[in-house]
Amino acid sequence: MRRLRAVMAKEFFHLLRDPRSLSVVFIMPLVQIFIFGYAISFDLENIPVAVIDLDHSEPSARLIKDFERSTVFVLKPLSGARREGDFAAADRALRAGRVKEVLVIPAGFAGRIRQGRTAEVGLIIDGSDSNVANRIYQYNQMIIQRFAAGLKGLEDIFQVKTKVYFNPESRSVFFFVPGLVAVILLMISAMLTASSIARERELGSVELLFISPLRSGEIILGKTLPYVLVALATGSFILFFSHFWFGVPLRGSLPVLLLFALLFVLTGLSFGVLISTLAPSQRVAMLGSVLATLLPSIMLSGFIFPLDSLSAPLRALSEIIPATHFLRIIRGVAIKGADLRHFLKEGASLAGLSLITLSLAVLRFTRLRRARR
Amino acid sequence: MRLFYLVKKEILEIIRQRELLVLLFLAPLIQIIILGYVITTDIKNVPVEVVNLSNSRAASEITARLRASPLFRVVKLSEKPEKAEDVLRRGEVRALIEFRDSPGRGRWAWTLPEVHILMDGIDANSSQIAAGYVNGIIKDYLQEKLRRAGLPMPVEAKTLIRYNPRLRSINTMGPGIVALLLTILSVFTTAFSFVREREQHTMDTLLMSRLRPMEIFVGKAMPAVLIGLLDMVLGIGVVILWFHIPLRGSVLYLFLASLLYLAAILSYALIISTVVVNQSQAMFFSWFSLVLFLLLSGFLTPLESIWARAPALAVLTEINPLRYLIKIIREIFLKGNGPAFFWRDLLALGGIAVVLTSLSLLNFRRFISK
Repeated sequence: MRRLRAVMAKEFFHLLRDPRSLSVVFIMPLVQIFIFGYAISFDLENIPVAVIDLDHSEPSARLIKDFERSTVFVLKPLSGARREGDFAAADRALRAGRVKEVLVIPAGFAGRIRQGRTAEVGLIIDGSDSNVANRIYQYNQMIIQRFAAGLKGLEDIFQVKTKVYFNPESRSVFFFVPGLVAVILLMISAMLTASSIARERELGSVELLFISPLRSGEIILGKTLPYVLVALATGSFILFFSHFWFGVPLRGSLPVLLLFALLFVLTGLSFGVLISTLAPSQRVAMLGSVLATLLPSIMLSGFIFPLDSLSAPLRALSEIIPATHFLRIIRGVAIKGADLRHFLKEGASLAGLSLITLSLAVLRFTRLRRARR
Repeated sequence: MRLFYLVKKEILEIIRQRELLVLLFLAPLIQIIILGYVITTDIKNVPVEVVNLSNSRAASEITARLRASPLFRVVKLSEKPEKAEDVLRRGEVRALIEFRDSPGRGRWAWTLPEVHILMDGIDANSSQIAAGYVNGIIKDYLQEKLRRAGLPMPVEAKTLIRYNPRLRSINTMGPGIVALLLTILSVFTTAFSFVREREQHTMDTLLMSRLRPMEIFVGKAMPAVLIGLLDMVLGIGVVILWFHIPLRGSVLYLFLASLLYLAAILSYALIISTVVVNQSQAMFFSWFSLVLFLLLSGFLTPLESIWARAPALAVLTEINPLRYLIKIIREIFLKGNGPAFFWRDLLALGGIAVVLTSLSLLNFRRFISK
């Protein structure tokens, strides 16, 4: 225990002697939360749509009006169209990305409706961004079906009511900011420790550690624990900021959230230490920790892409990514007001992950040590 | 010729570390392949609970359709009312779909239940899409019923999706992942260059050599350009051969854009390398910039509405080189567009590259004169 304290004290001195790095650890996440809280959103507004109306009738004008009235679309005149129904101009606009969709109302639209036959409307969507295209498609269907039902006076034939819980205004901030807290926290903690042993190896001072009476487990733990405080402080800092600045609610209990955050940063720090024992130089350690943590925690954790749609092997893979578990926890506790007992499984996974990575780090460090003797 | 020796030294330093080689060439391949499968903005298998409180045939028929649909995974089917908030809080399902009989709706030959979609609003994007699916399933059901009763729908949409007809996410995201990995690898190999020499006290040796400052600068950037281009070729190879994403446009412009981008991003990384005092700071700065480049590039979330939402930040997206690279890559890959369609983006990218390179050179002169 005394020896462990000594290693921890040494790491603390390292930290305090470099206040510039320490302040970077606090300021950068803040700036990131601030920028992304405003900048990232899935909200679609002002999607430019070109209209080719070959019917010029009262119903076609009404359908166009429906598109115009929705907040999603803005109508855009086709520039350079030489005559009416210039499909080549529409194609160019779509290709150049000036419009995302072309709405085509064929001649005889009103006539077919009057005869009681099905009139068709053509929609050409730019599919190059598949998510945006999918949403445009959905909005189209909604507008056109409502229009069709309106023609027959059937608007209320089937009542579908939607009620949204936890986030009634559907604000993206509620989704992204807690996610960012998780991603940033993991990155910070993995990077804090990633260079620790690699640095000593690069500078040669690791030899001193090798020949000291310290046990490998003590060295690894001593190099991990001091950073728990730093990472946890950063975590609470950005958590409070997102609460007071962006109004992200904190409906559950704060101590529970902080308890899980503690487990989570411990997992991140353990990943960092493991990488650090594997890397021969700081450059390798950094690149390794970024490749191992940045992309997986953004892409494979449910931060942006829902995990439901993944195939079973990939879903299994997402379970070994610490951010996956903490994302569920933070969204559940902060926004839904869930409590401790809802997240026992996630907590156990985090604890298990950090135990496994720490043991691997100790094993690896012991092997390095033996190789030197 | 002197330049050659510096480049050789830098490359040797990379080759000597087997781990670094693995990270530079093998890891990106694995990541592209895994991410290629992961990045799917398609929403399917949405876990839902169906609460059927209605006795109507319509309710059970629609439930059957929900169960058969690949878009939903009906986790639970109950016939008793549920407290929606508690169910959603447990987080096992994303929405409850409730059918209820409502009185006074006997206008129709068949009884239609009321449908309530009670959804978890945290992931608003997915929930809205899922609600759209429920609506779609119900409308389809209704249309069929109407058609059978001799009442066809008066208007139907025929949709044609261009450039990516089956809306495969990988077609949109795959080429972008290559750009992303290119960024990570080149920033992280370059941001350390000078600060490492300084930390190991070899910077003075380098400065005392007969190499001119310009040569040192180029010599440090060159290996990263080579690695970047090599990774680009590898990545594009995987995207085309493994994921069968068609490359419809010109490879030449793809590489021109990548070169301009590399010039911009490497100059930026070299600036980082001269302003930080140790390697961990270099790492923090690179990471910070990477996340910034990535999330403000339009790669993951649409940029269409950013001007309306946060004009100050929209400016940041305009000077983000990654944004232009991703735009150009998508144009070339998916739309098969020629430069007539993206010359503006290419010009912007070139402009950013020129500005950053000059800044970086100026900064480097200041750095060595110290």
